[in-house]
Parts: sequence; C-alpha cells; structure tokens
Amino acid sequence: MSGKILEVAGLNKHFRGLHAVRDLNFVLQGGDKTAIIGPNGAGKTTFFNLVTGFHRADSGRIIFNGTDITNRPSHEIARLGISRAFQISNIFPKLSVLENVRSAVQAQMGKAFDAFGRADRIGTGETERIINLCGLHSKPRVAAGELSQGDKKKLELALALAGKPKLLLLDEPTAGMSLEETRETMALVDRLNEELNLTTLFTEHDMAVVFNHARKVILLHRGEIIVEGTPDQVRMDETAQRIYLGMHHR
Amino acid sequence: MPFIQDPGLVDEAKKAGWLTRLYRRRGLSGPVAAVLLLGFLLTPLLPGKFPTIVATEILIVGLFALSFNLIYGYMGQISFGHGAFFGLGAYATALLLRYFQMSAGEVSYFGFFLAILAALPVSAFGSLIVGFFCIRLTGIYFAMLSLAFGELLFYIVFSWYSFTKGDDGIQGLMPPPFFQNSTHYYYFTLAIVVMAALLLWRITESPFGYTLRMLRDNRNRAAFLGINARRVMLMNFVTAGIFAGLAGALWGPFQRSVSPALLGWAESGKAVFMTLIGGAYFLVGPMAGSIIYTGLNAYVTRYTVFWPLTIGLIILLIVLFVPGGLLSVIDQRISRRGTERESRERIPPEAAPGPENEA
Repeated sequence: MSGKILEVAGLNKHFRGLHAVRDLNFVLQGGDKTAIIGPNGAGKTTFFNLVTGFHRADSGRIIFNGTDITNRPSHEIARLGISRAFQISNIFPKLSVLENVRSAVQAQMGKAFDAFGRADRIGTGETERIINLCGLHSKPRVAAGELSQGDKKKLELALALAGKPKLLLLDEPTAGMSLEETRETMALVDRLNEELNLTTLFTEHDMAVVFNHARKVILLHRGEIIVEGTPDQVRMDETAQRIYLGMHHR
Repeated sequence: MPFIQDPGLVDEAKKAGWLTRLYRRRGLSGPVAAVLLLGFLLTPLLPGKFPTIVATEILIVGLFALSFNLIYGYMGQISFGHGAFFGLGAYATALLLRYFQMSAGEVSYFGFFLAILAALPVSAFGSLIVGFFCIRLTGIYFAMLSLAFGELLFYIVFSWYSFTKGDDGIQGLMPPPFFQNSTHYYYFTLAIVVMAALLLWRITESPFGYTLRMLRDNRNRAAFLGINARRVMLMNFVTAGIFAGLAGALWGPFQRSVSPALLGWAESGKAVFMTLIGGAYFLVGPMAGSIIYTGLNAYVTRYTVFWPLTIGLIILLIVLFVPGGLLSVIDQRISRRGTERESRERIPPEAAPGPENEA
C-alpha cells in the first residue's frame, strides 16, 4: 500500500477558550510509521479523538483512503479501517482476555448483530493469532480487569489489531510498561509495519522509543505543528530543542 | 482430600459427576438450570394444587425477569419500565381472548394459541417505540425515561375505559377446557418458559450477546471497534420487550384476569428485585430470584401481613452482604474450591520446564 492514506487539511478544534488543535495540515503515506510528540496539552490526544470521530471538528477536513471521514460516527470510522489503542487502557474489564479479543474480531467480521451463532465458534483462529502476537497466550481465561498494567496495554493493542486496521493509532503504547514489555511491544509495532505494511501513527513521551522506532516525527505544540521531518531533522531543530526536547535531555 | 474440611462437601465432590462437568463447560447456570428443571418437572407431585399454582407464577414472572436481565445484566442499563411490555403482552392476549369469548362463546385451541402469539408483535411494537427514545440515554437517564414511558403506557391502559375496561381490568378469561386444569396449564407454561429460556441462552452466548457485554463494560471502546451502540441497544430493548410480552401472554389465562397494574412501576420493580436476589451475571439468576421472591410472597403472606417489610429486609440483606446475588455466592465458593484443587494438582511453576503455553 502506498500513496496518501490520511490527509488532514485545516483542522481546528476549540474547547471553550482553548484552541486545542490549530489549523493542522499533514499527510500520512501508506506504510508510514510516524510519531507525534509534544508536551502535555499539545493536542495529541485531541487530534486522535478528531480522527476517530470522538470529538467533532470545528473546521477542516480529514480524508482517509479517499473517503471524507470528518465528523463521522466512531463506529463507522472504525469499520473503514482506523483502529485506535488508548493511552489509559480501555478494555472490557468483566470479560476474559479471550472474550475481549474474540468480541472485537467478531465486530470486525460484521457479526455484532448475529444473535443465533455461537460466539465461541466464530473467528476463533484470528482471535488466537492476535492473542499470540500480542504475547497474551498464557492468560486467555483471565478477566481483563485483573490483568497487570502492562498486560492491559498489550490487550489494548490486541483490541486495536482485531479491527484489521489499515491505519493504526497508538496513544502512548508503552506507557506503564516495564522496559522489557516496552521492547516487546515496539518490536511488534515494527514487525506489523514492516511485514504487513501497516501504517502507524503513535504518540509517545519516551524519546528513546520515538527516535528508535519512528521514521517521521511531528512535533505539536499548543495545537500547532512546529516541526515535521525525520527523527534526525527534528532532533537537531532549534525550536524543537527549546520547546520540548530540552526537557528530555539525557 | 485434606483441604476439604466439611465432610458433606466430600460426599458432594464424589457424587458430582455430570453436574460438575456441566459446571466446567457452561459455568454455574448449566447445573443450576438442570436442577431447577428437575424441580419444576416434579412440582405437581407435591400435595395439593397450591404448589403448582405458585410454580406457574414463578415461571411466568421468572421469564419476565429473565427478559429484564437482557437489559440489566447483559447490556448494563437499568429499566424501571419493563413491566409495560409484560402488561402489553398480557392485554394483547386478554383482549383477543375476550373477543373470541364474546363472539363464539368460548375460545378454540387455535384462538388460544393465536391470542398468545399476538402478544409478541404488540410488545415488540411497544418496545420499539419506547426503545427508540430510551437508547439515546444511558445510566440514570435511561432508567428515568424508561420509568416515564412505563407510567405513560400504564395511564393509557388505565384511562382508556372503552377499550381496556380501565381499572376494572379484563375479568373472566377462560382458556380452552384442556388448559383450565391447573396442572395442564402449568406444564404448558413450563414448556413455553423452557423454550424461551433456551432461546435466551442461545442469544446471550451469541456474538450479539457478547456485543451487549461490550456495551455494558465499555460503551465508548465498543464504538471504536466498529459497533453501532444505539442499534445494538435498540435491538436488545425490543428483544427483551418481546420476551416480556410472551411472559405477559401467559399471565391472563393463568389468573383468568388482567389489570393495569401489570404495566406499572411496581411490576417493573419486581423484575429488578428478582434479578438482584438471584444474580444478574448468571443467565438463570433472575429465575432463581423469582423462586425466592414469588415463593416467599406466596407463603409468607399466609402467616404475616408484613410481606412488604419482609421483602424489604431481604433486599437490604442482599444489597449489603451479597451484592452479586445468591448465585454469585455459590459460584465463588465453588470456584474457590476448584482453584484450590487445581493448584494442588498442577505442577508448581518453578518445577515446570519452560513457560506455560495453555492457549
């Protein structure tokens, strides 16, 4: 897959007095692996909320794969192929790991309204594949609400993958993970991007993760794009240094 | 088995056999349903007609509570207006029966079954209209709107005297001769309720059933996974309404009368009570709740006029000490024992070669 997969033009969002996203313009090519960085409140999560239809944009356009998805309902956008993993894990706590993933797989298959099929026999192969891929194979029967923080984030990613996304949005995919889990998770993100050419857009506070894994970096500040380029370009940029990277001096 | 202290439990573990297997495969609802079915089949052997009549009521109101639990336990919304669909079903059947009685003198078997079936489209239509508005809201607002609609329907039936006979209700309903025998009608009810319960079991274990649980656990996330929450909620609201209507249909021929109170908030509240008593997270929970609630109601009212006080105390105790309902207590006890047994039998993780792969 190549060519434009996501095109954002003149996107704006206000919350009362706050201009949370300010005239955002950018293009994501198919197969890109791009990181959005920026201080807290820069508008990263708001931007994800706009793309996934959780917030309504005040103005601007979001085009996904040639379809205008601006202000469409979340469930329609998800069905078009945009999956999202959340910063704070956002799972189905009373369902087991297996049931979480299986239900998401069945939703992707368009089976959400199937009232007479047997849930335990539909999409089980895909469910197992995703559970294995995300390293949750040792605890399929555990209630999701009882998982450790790191495992919840893995399940979070598994749910996003169950949607068979063309574009994967990851909001701080490694927050709350141990070093080992961070390494595993980012290796999986790399693998999905390289093997399946899955376009990935992620936010991250850990600069080591950003500069080791992103091929393109966008720095957002007060709702605006300040710098955009390769990791090296952004790292060397003076404005970027001053606004954000200086705080992460190692 | 030194870890089992109570000798009674040892006996139980030995003779468990097929019930235990059912528990492992289907959870607690499987064995409980099997035991309840056996009990219901044998109830008419008890002396006198009274137990059979009480059991009929348990089944009908139990089915009503099961239908309510689609909305509460599975979808995570609480409806205080579900009685409206029970009542609509009851009135649809009763009005048709009265029509047949007035035009032909008595009800034919065909007319009887037709009257029962007529409850389904009527309650479906009612729940579609009410649901259309309710599903736009969640939580307390959903509950309040369902209550408002329930009361609205109650007042329509209550005040439309020319059609519904208002507060007088519809009296003197007579099913065909075979069903006038209380045992016959009991087994007829049992057959309908068992079929309905099997259908409900099928629905709750379907992908749709799991979609409902997703909405219950995390509605926003379900939307991000491509689920149209409102459509799912509406479909479930109507499904629950139809099953409530079916329960209502069985009521008129059983009591030989229907009254507007069947649509009211007190009737809706019964379903809530029974579900909380039995356990909302078990398919058979509401039926277990109906056995306790309806059974107690039937027997306690013989000895004391303080029935409302009694049921109030029971609810209080359950909310305070067993918030998951009766079945959750049993389930926790069994699964705790199961875990102890498993952990004894399994090789300790340190000794096991390599990581466990049990997927």
